[in-house]
Amino acid sequence: MTRFAEWLSRTSLSVTIQTHEWIIPTIQSIHIVAIGIVLTSVFMIDLRILGWGGRDQTLKQTTARFGPWLSGALGVLLATGALMVIGEPVRELLAFSFWLKMGLVGLGTAIAAAFQTALRRNERQWETSLVNRADVKSLAILTLVIWMCIVILGRLIAYDHVWGAWSLSPKA
Amino acid sequence: MSIDALLALLEGSRVAGAIRDSLYFFPLIESLHVIGLTMVFGTIAIVDLRLLGLASAERPFSRVASDVLKWTWAAFALTVVTGVLMFITNASVYYHNFYFRSKMALLALSGLNMFLFSLTSRRTVRDWDREPAAPLAGRTIATLSLLFWIGIIFAGRWIGFTTTRATPASEPEINLEDLLPK
Repeated sequence: MTRFAEWLSRTSLSVTIQTHEWIIPTIQSIHIVAIGIVLTSVFMIDLRILGWGGRDQTLKQTTARFGPWLSGALGVLLATGALMVIGEPVRELLAFSFWLKMGLVGLGTAIAAAFQTALRRNERQWETSLVNRADVKSLAILTLVIWMCIVILGRLIAYDHVWGAWSLSPKA
Repeated sequence: MSIDALLALLEGSRVAGAIRDSLYFFPLIESLHVIGLTMVFGTIAIVDLRLLGLASAERPFSRVASDVLKWTWAAFALTVVTGVLMFITNASVYYHNFYFRSKMALLALSGLNMFLFSLTSRRTVRDWDREPAAPLAGRTIATLSLLFWIGIIFAGRWIGFTTTRATPASEPEINLEDLLPK
C-alpha cells in the first residue's frame, strides 16, 4: 500500500492538487457541505421511523423527499473523497481511520439501499406495522450512529496517531 | 481588561491546558464540531429550500420549520461549545486569523439575516404557509442564508490550514498504545 500511495502521489493529477494550495481546502469544504446533506437526510428519515418528526408525512413521502439528496450527496462525497486520496495518498491510504471509515461507509450505504428496496417491495406493511417494530427503530438509531462515526473517523484521518500502533502513517 | 489579556487568560486556563496536553481531546472535539456544524447546515438548508419552493413544497412552511429548527438549535449549541473549546487552546492565534474573523462576521450576518426574516415574511406566514414558496423577502433571505452557511463552512476549513495548532506543554501522559495488548 505504501508503494501504491507513493506511485499515486507522482501521477500528474496528484501533483497538480499538491502544487495548488487552495485545491485541498476547497475539496474538503465541498466534502463537508455534502456531509451536511447526507447526515441530515439520514437523520430526517430516522426521525420519521422513530416517530420523533415528520409525522404528517408517510414513510414513502419522507424517503422520496430525502432519498435523492442522500444518494446525490453521497456521489459528491465519493468524488471529492477520491480527489483527496489522489491529492494526498500517503495521508489517506496509510491511515487506520481511513480504512475503518471506508468499512462503515460500505455498511451505511448497504443499510440505506436495503431499506429503500425493502420499503418499495412492502410499502403498506412498512407504513402500518414494520415502522413500529422495536428492532426497526433500533436499526434507525444504529444507522445514525454509524454515519456520525463516519464523520468522526473522517476528521481523525488528520490525527491518525490517536490509533497508536494501528496507524501505518509515517510518524510526524 | 485588554483583549490581549483576555486571550492570554483563556489560553492559560486549566481547560485549555488539558485539551492541549491530550492526544485525544482536540481531535475528538473537532470531530464533534463537524457533526454539529453539518447538522446545522443540513437542517437550515431544509428550511431554506422550503422557503425557495425547491423542496418539501407540498408541506406547510410552519410544519417544516417546527420539525427541524429545534434540532438546528441543539446542533448549534454543540457547535458553539466545541468551537469555544478549540478557540481557547490557541486563542490569540485564532483571534488574529483572517478566516476566523471572516467566519465570525458571516455568523453575525446569518444572525442578522434570521432577524430580518422575523421582521418580514415570518409576519405574514399565514398568508403563504401552504404556498409552494415564500414571498420575495423570504426567498432572498433563504438564498443569503445558504450562501452565508456555505461560506462559514469554507472559512472554517481555511482556519485549519492557516493556523498552526498549539503544541502541548508536556508529553501526553497516556498513550492508547500502552493500553492495548502488544
